[in-house]
Amino acid sequence: MKLDRTRVLESKRDFRRRLATLPIAEKLRMLDALRVRTLAIRRASISGATKRH
Amino acid sequence: MGIKEVIEMINSMQADGVIERYAIGGAVGATFYLEPVATLDVDVFVESHTEPGSRIASPEPIFTFLRDRGCTMENEHVVIAGWPVQFLPAGSSLLQEALATAVEKDVDGTLARVFTAEHIAAVALETGRAKDKARVLQFVEAGALDLERLQEILARHGLGSDWQQFERQFLKQR
Repeated sequence: MKLDRTRVLESKRDFRRRLATLPIAEKLRMLDALRVRTLAIRRASISGATKRH
Repeated sequence: MGIKEVIEMINSMQADGVIERYAIGGAVGATFYLEPVATLDVDVFVESHTEPGSRIASPEPIFTFLRDRGCTMENEHVVIAGWPVQFLPAGSSLLQEALATAVEKDVDGTLARVFTAEHIAAVALETGRAKDKARVLQFVEAGALDLERLQEILARHGLGSDWQQFERQFLKQR
């Protein structure tokens, strides 16, 4: 497999375009899920930082 | 629990006459036009009724309505369906225009009022933090803006030089 940066970037753009065209209800459900994930990461990093101190 | 329930709750608040009109802005508003971007809260811009003899709308009826329906207060947010929601007054001419020209979008049978893409970008440019500029860039890259309409909005609200600076900083070397 060859890593072609231009193709990787184009593929990322393509993925973002596809996400943008999803039905809005589906995109809002993704926001719900993203928020849960973000909060979990935040909790884990806070707890990790506390343990280090 | 999710954003759709937040929208339903705000719609019922409007139907009950607690607020005159509302529109969703910020990252959730941007998601109506772009790919979803992680955010922790929902920005809802509102126009509230003013008490007779007062020129300032009190947010208290909003909080009372939501408290009565089991929502909790968390600092400057109200938590609706698990989401911290920030109710913001449309305090500038740009926000008033954004509220007046907001569009209705259908979310699985529930209508949501949302700022236009151009107004979300203009408000982000006016706010001017790094993450706001990143949002404007997202809109530009996605081709989600009517640039002529955006220029008109920016000119009306004295943001032409902010746009020129943004262009120099992010768009000229592409």
